[in-house]
Amino acid sequence: MSEPVAPPEPAAPPGPAVSQPGSTRTGPGRLLVAVYGLFALSASARAGVQIATKFHHAPVAYLLSAFAAVVYILATVTLTVGSSTARRIAVVSCSIELAGVLAVGTWSLADPATFPDATVWSSYGSGYGFVPLVLPVFGLLWLSRWSRRARTRRPTAPADRA
Amino acid sequence: MSSVNGAVPTTIIVAGLALAGYALLTTARNRRMGVGLLAGLGVLEILLLVEDGLVAARLASGPHPASMATLIGYLIAMPIVPLAAAFWGLLERSRWGAAVVAVAGLVAPVLMVRLHQIWPVIHV
Repeated sequence: MSEPVAPPEPAAPPGPAVSQPGSTRTGPGRLLVAVYGLFALSASARAGVQIATKFHHAPVAYLLSAFAAVVYILATVTLTVGSSTARRIAVVSCSIELAGVLAVGTWSLADPATFPDATVWSSYGSGYGFVPLVLPVFGLLWLSRWSRRARTRRPTAPADRA
Repeated sequence: MSSVNGAVPTTIIVAGLALAGYALLTTARNRRMGVGLLAGLGVLEILLLVEDGLVAARLASGPHPASMATLIGYLIAMPIVPLAAAFWGLLERSRWGAAVVAVAGLVAPVLMVRLHQIWPVIHV
């Protein structure tokens, strides 16, 4: 039992429904923020417990987990806020996240001795169904759509140029 | 390595996957979340609370797992998942609200498997 999506705009394109003006937290962003929030919560809880209870077991892994947690929190908050400054910070944190998952993923495979315990980004996030690898890509795609929109709305504004 | 035992966790896994399937179908059909998905979240919430109670009873009457802090964290997080999904999904006026429900549906089975990895003793 699901209601049809709100007023059927006659001219609305049938494609990916970007609803009205919206924000980075509406439409597909709603899903993105949900998944980011999930990872922010689970990564910080996990890193917190690991650092508090058995830091010396795998210090590098746990510090990287904590770093990942901070990046996820930053992305969740900035995507939710969605102002132009927040979007810029979100682009940076999604980029760091993508670089991090690729770098740590490679590192964990090349030097498993440094990682007696896994981080969120170990083996490109395979322990989390590779969601950590896919998430920043979707985040950056979603944000690029927004910066494009901002540019077309005010084509002369130099501040919007990346 | 991890075996999920007991009727309640199995039911949660099946219910979660069914809810996720229904929610993804709703998103694919470009419908926003309705009463059906909300009821599904409600059922999931009740099941997770029951599982919470069973594990808490187990904790009260016996030995504790090695990673007690993590288990407590899971017990707290479990019932929050459907509530958060309902809140965040209802705020959305498009198909993507249903997609949020799908995330909750997929998270529930993961939580069950992880719960039993944390404490294999649980045969609730």
